[in-house]
Amino acid sequence: MGPWGFVSLAYGIVCAVIVLYWLLLKRRYRQAEAELNRLKSSEAVNSHDKG
Amino acid sequence: MAQSTAAVKKRKGVLGGLALLAIIAGLCWSLLIAPPDGYQGEVQRIMYLHLPSILTAYLSYFLVFIGSGMYLWKREKKDDLLAHAAAELGVLFTALTIVEGSIWGKPTWGVWWTWDARLTLTAILLLIYAGYLMLRSLIDDEQRAASAAAILGIIGFFDIPLIHMSVYWWRTLHQPPSILRPDKKPWENVHPDMLTALAISFVGFLLLYFYLLSLRYRVGEMRQEIKALRLERGV
Repeated sequence: MGPWGFVSLAYGIVCAVIVLYWLLLKRRYRQAEAELNRLKSSEAVNSHDKG
Repeated sequence: MAQSTAAVKKRKGVLGGLALLAIIAGLCWSLLIAPPDGYQGEVQRIMYLHLPSILTAYLSYFLVFIGSGMYLWKREKKDDLLAHAAAELGVLFTALTIVEGSIWGKPTWGVWWTWDARLTLTAILLLIYAGYLMLRSLIDDEQRAASAAAILGIIGFFDIPLIHMSVYWWRTLHQPPSILRPDKKPWENVHPDMLTALAISFVGFLLLYFYLLSLRYRVGEMRQEIKALRLERGV
């Protein structure tokens, strides 16, 4: 492998890992947000029913 | 409330956009504008990733140190959430630093890995904070897990001065700093375009770091809210 090969490998791995981590983090964020909204909305329905 | 959530999301989006712009500018400057190194040639361009990665990891561990100390002192959950989020990102950036260093080491030293003092201490740093994350998942009692992790988070931080000083204290293969040298100013030793590329890359990494940290912190915060709501209902 030539010098540019090593440079490309390093930049490629860093970009791929960061993008993968970002995608996984966004998925965790969306899952937590959806779960929280679901719990909050069911809480609002419960309190409304009791009222 | 909905308005403030939208505003926070917008701020995160702006931060993410700025990070992306700075990273693209850093890539252009590092790969197209900065000249090749006189001794190492083109492979030296890995430095524009390697140095910002490790400095970002150090910043992350500093936040773990602060968050852990504050948690042990005040027992506030937000400090533990910060330490946990920062530890995860610290592990990510340390692992990237080791991979980049390994790829840089092969054409420069002829090996992918050597048990050099700085490399070994950096690998130990990665293991300490990977252990920090494992420890949290192994202890069921949340408060005990947070306290044990906080102690490890503080102890682990003391590896960083050792890593920094290792090139002076031991005969190592890893070169001493080229930019932050006590005997020379950075611009006396390094080409201005190289310094610019490094500065832009570092800004890009910092913006990306704070963007990812804000997302990861919010994930932790939401999980706490979910846990509290479930407890409230006895689910």
